[in-house]
Amino acid sequence: MRQLRIDLSKCDAGRATCQHECESSCVEKVFKLTDPAMAALHIRELADGSGQAVLCDQCGDCVVVCPTEALSRNKLGVVVIDKKVCVGCYMCMGFCEKEIFERNPEWTEPYKCISCGICVKACPHAALEIVDVPEPAYRIL
Amino acid sequence: MIQVNGDGMEWQDGLTVRGVLVHRNFRFPLLIITVNGELVQPKAYDSTLVPDGAEVQVVHLMSGG
Amino acid sequence: MSQFVFDPTKVMDIDFTKRTEYLEGLEAIKAAHKVLKEISFTPSLPDKGYNHRSLYVNVGTLEVKEKPVTQQMKDVFLGGRGFGLWHLWNAVKPTTRWNDPENEIIICPGPVSGITQYAGTGKSLVVTLSPQTDIPIDSNVGGYFGPLLKFSGFDALEIQGKSECDLIVFIDGQKGIIRIEEAPEEPVDSHVLAEVLTHMYAENDADRVNISVVCTGAAAEHSLIGMLNFSWWDHRRGCIRLKQAGRGGIGTVFRNKRIRAVVCRGPQVKGDLNNVADYETIAKTGIKYHKEIRENDPYQCMMRRNGTAHIVEIMDAYDLLPTHNFQYGSHPDTHKIDSAYWQSRCTQKTVDGCWYGCSMACAKGADGLVVKTGPYKGHTVTVDGPEYENAAGLGSNCGVFDPDYLLELNFYCDTYGICTITYGTLTAFVMECYQRGILNKERTGGLEMTWGNAEDDLEMMHQMARGEGFGIIAGQGVKKMKEIFIKNGWGDPKLINDIGMENKGLEYSQYMSKESLAQQGGYALTNKGPQHDEAWLIFMDMVNKQIPTFEDKAEALYYFPLFRTWFGLNGFCKLPWNDVVPSNNAQQPEAHKIPEHVQNYVDIFTATTGIKIDKDELIHQSAKVYNFQRIFNIRMGKGLRKDDHAPFRALGPVTTEEYLSRQERYDKQIAEEMKLDPTTMSLEEKMAAHRSWRQGRYEQLTDAVYKRRGWTPNGVPTLERLKELGLDAFPEVVDVVKLHL
Ligand code: SF4
Ligand code: SF4
Ligand code: SF4
Ligand code: SF4
Repeated sequence: MRQLRIDLSKCDAGRATCQHECESSCVEKVFKLTDPAMAALHIRELADGSGQAVLCDQCGDCVVVCPTEALSRNKLGVVVIDKKVCVGCYMCMGFCEKEIFERNPEWTEPYKCISCGICVKACPHAALEIVDVPEPAYRIL
Repeated sequence: MIQVNGDGMEWQDGLTVRGVLVHRNFRFPLLIITVNGELVQPKAYDSTLVPDGAEVQVVHLMSGG
Repeated sequence: MSQFVFDPTKVMDIDFTKRTEYLEGLEAIKAAHKVLKEISFTPSLPDKGYNHRSLYVNVGTLEVKEKPVTQQMKDVFLGGRGFGLWHLWNAVKPTTRWNDPENEIIICPGPVSGITQYAGTGKSLVVTLSPQTDIPIDSNVGGYFGPLLKFSGFDALEIQGKSECDLIVFIDGQKGIIRIEEAPEEPVDSHVLAEVLTHMYAENDADRVNISVVCTGAAAEHSLIGMLNFSWWDHRRGCIRLKQAGRGGIGTVFRNKRIRAVVCRGPQVKGDLNNVADYETIAKTGIKYHKEIRENDPYQCMMRRNGTAHIVEIMDAYDLLPTHNFQYGSHPDTHKIDSAYWQSRCTQKTVDGCWYGCSMACAKGADGLVVKTGPYKGHTVTVDGPEYENAAGLGSNCGVFDPDYLLELNFYCDTYGICTITYGTLTAFVMECYQRGILNKERTGGLEMTWGNAEDDLEMMHQMARGEGFGIIAGQGVKKMKEIFIKNGWGDPKLINDIGMENKGLEYSQYMSKESLAQQGGYALTNKGPQHDEAWLIFMDMVNKQIPTFEDKAEALYYFPLFRTWFGLNGFCKLPWNDVVPSNNAQQPEAHKIPEHVQNYVDIFTATTGIKIDKDELIHQSAKVYNFQRIFNIRMGKGLRKDDHAPFRALGPVTTEEYLSRQERYDKQIAEEMKLDPTTMSLEEKMAAHRSWRQGRYEQLTDAVYKRRGWTPNGVPTLERLKELGLDAFPEVVDVVKLHL
């Protein structure tokens, strides 16, 4: 299963030498939006200057609660949404513990990280990487 | 002696909120508990001592139906 | 607190995709259909929750037409149960009875119904003249039918007339076709029929989720307690699931009209089909609520794991679980049917909402039941539930503590199309009559109706479905059974009347009201009859002692019935209101009303319709419909004080055994409340004292409640109250009231 990871010690969340290219590349190239706050990952600067990352780890909890089976794992183990069957109930969003299932007010279907690695390439400090890890066990939620 | 929802209950040293619930067999999960008017959070049921003479209110919310 | 913690390793390993299939004869069944009428219509989507038209179908004359939904209908009746009552009012006369052709069945989802973002928003309300009570009955039911009907283009479906052949009404909201088809060879029982029809009317596999079937079963034809099943396609299980419009015999009316099924094929559901005024507010409120369920439900009611069955052992612990026809409140065998058991028996590895977006997901299913008796003996089936009412009604109240038999009783109630609550209460009555010699083996035609005899209990149900023997008598319900047993001279009329748990002709649902005066009113001072969906006040009254005076109780019996009526006007489910609460609820003023959730409802209503309301206006909206329904009852010859009396079993101890089982409590009341000395009194004297004290208090409560509701001492809404509510705009409503002032 492809999973996005971050090494916070390399990340410049405080924007001294980077403009959060990860978020802007994700939002623009993957979701064709403009506002970096709508990216499928969030890097936040904390008061003490350190960074905090909110990433989807492809845990699959959202797959478990989706009533329509719009969510499933693809061949690479990544959780993807089939917009044709999604009914916009947002249970996936409410049940994502990391709160990284995203929504654009203009669309009824929500969206999430697809572990594509575009942000990895965009990061000037190589803080992000895509790793291959085993799929976690199915959780009853 | 303490009062639990208006009924008398024997007090003993070390009585906790949990002890009151067990004694009265209050097993319902949606409770609002006050001891002498002070709200007790669920995580503090085991640690909160009920003093002698206390007024304990165990409000059961509605459920089911 | 002492709630069982979910342990996935305890869940039974049952394959939830495996069950007996019934599709073999599908082609032949379909080939036998004959189109009696076909008309086309222009499908539409609602605008801010309303299509502004309803669909009228007369199954006798085959007339099909569209009717406008007027601004006045929206202003006064809102939708759901309100529209249902309004259509019914216009369809019937005071002399109309349930089996007259002019009686209607109205199915109406309500303006909010069909949004997918908040829990419990897919309900339909069903209204008809009840064969049990002769007044309107209303039932709030899940399943996909209501939303799909609305997304096809109709705010309500009104069915009138009586057919001479069995037929199906098919509404195709994708193609814009309404078809009435003669259906001579359909299977009769719901779990088969809904499966066959879902496959028959879906154009391909993916289309099945767009189909919902309304149908009943064999017992609805031979009893007065028939229920309607509303289906949806459970994609993960690969089967249909059923939710029930249970109370009051709606299924009996359905079959009396010779309708086999009403099928709706709607468009593919998307999140925005209800075209609400303010989508963003609904989305945000929904996500906040889903999060609350994720965080709190595992530590509160565990609705996602247990459904409503989580309160079985709780009711037992508080001496409130109806046992042996409401005689006692607990039983040593309750642990065999408690939530820990159902948690392990129900399939946990799937999604169990009865409409999209229901994160509360109480519609649990027990898969892999191998049926032991009756026509489906040996079949592997999925049973919906059991919900609390079923576990208590079919279980403890009849002394049945074998969970497999309980599931089988539940399964047959559902597929035969009878109400589990009604069946539970009437069987408990039969069993107590058997215990007390009012019935015996000869009078039941060989059925041995002893407590806990699940086999004969099931046989009685099979007889009901076959239209045979004692099953026919039992299927008349408690009220008619009482009349029959008294007429036959089988027992002391007073005893029979005391222990027959019905009011207005409807059986009590499964809570013990004996020790809670407020709940006695919560049951018998209702519009449709004793169903807990108006007010459930036992904890507030008996355990918390929050409402000590008559006025306090009257206030609760004013607020809660109106608050809860509102769910049925809009197409909401009641459970998400109070089966989970926000973490900071305890700190809120009026915490018992769950203020944050009330605000959610206010916000969702406003965001759907664009009509700005607050929590007081919400109550006002309900009061219009609630009082209208009361006046409707009066118009039909009920709805006065005499009709609000309760059987004594609901008020206090009828028998010496009951008295002795709670002697300490009862003696104390004699001393403290009645100021008598119990030590000098015989048991008979003590029981007589309780009877008059309790009946007196019930009358005092009735006075206080009528006063708070703006009714005369005879229970009639006053002209001033009508004016406040704007009901004085309807002269025919005013006329009914004037006759009784
Ligand atoms: S991950 Fe890379 S691009 Fe993103 S904020 Fe950190 S350093 Fe910048
Ligand atoms: S969106 Fe959330 S729930 Fe879904 S896979 Fe990612 S982290 Fe898990
Ligand atoms: S919003 Fe769509 S993807 Fe998310 S749970 Fe609902 S149906 Fe599934
Ligand atoms: S992996 Fe792709 S989808 Fe996920 S955060 Fe990075 S760019 Fe966005």
